Amino acid sequence: MSRYEKLLNMLMDFDGSIEFAAVSDTTGKILWNSARSNLKLKVPLDETKNVLKRESGDWIDRCKAEDRIGLGRALYHITSFEKTKHVTIPVDAFHLLYIVVNNEPMVKSKKKSYGRLVEMGKMMSIVDFVNTFE
Amino acid sequence: MLMDFNDSIRFAAVCNTNGDIVWTSQREGIKNIVSLDETKQTMMRAIEAWAQNSNLKGHVGSGLYSITSYEKIKRITVPLDDDGKILFISVNNSSTKNSKTKSYGQIADMGKILSIVDFVKSER
Repeated sequence: MSRYEKLLNMLMDFDGSIEFAAVSDTTGKILWNSARSNLKLKVPLDETKNVLKRESGDWIDRCKAEDRIGLGRALYHITSFEKTKHVTIPVDAFHLLYIVVNNEPMVKSKKKSYGRLVEMGKMMSIVDFVNTFE
Repeated sequence: MLMDFNDSIRFAAVCNTNGDIVWTSQREGIKNIVSLDETKQTMMRAIEAWAQNSNLKGHVGSGLYSITSYEKIKRITVPLDDDGKILFISVNNSSTKNSKTKSYGQIADMGKILSIVDFVKSER
């Protein structure tokens, strides 16, 4: 099992709200993926491939910007929709992690809900942990 | 309202679909890390991304916000309306205290930011 497959397995085990996770190359081509069993994907795979192509291009721009402007290392990107959050994290120089997390409110609340909190600290620590096994 | 609500917000702007900044606010005493030209380029990319994200609306609902997290700051965009205006916010992301575990920055209080945006929309 490659460390990328290990990464996907660890993420799916860590958080039941993760619906889909994939590792792509720098062109956005999906190399490994894992989908939660008994759950139908909200976004068709073809559409996800289009999203990943754009995200890959955006990450190339962000990594170039790291050297040009003084923001420090780019860590992650989240796009939040009403039903899902889409997270991208650069795993290394050649691979991008893409995660789809359920964002529908867990309980009914009197106040308007804008979705769930994503535990980015834990996700990032899993990525860092798996990267130590190269 | 945004600048008053959260001291860690360094810069906020609203731009239109052409990337023109139509409103901006900068926290006093804080020097920009990123040049305005660079920020404009980021906003243009965000406008394109939100336009493409609209293809997903039928599957996952409306887009709420995006966050790009760097070691020093978080850059947040919020689509404001159907005519394509977006709100851009730059928030301090440096760790506030020493921790035994590795820090990946501060949590952006998106619930409060979005509730302010909704409140302002309702006042129009």
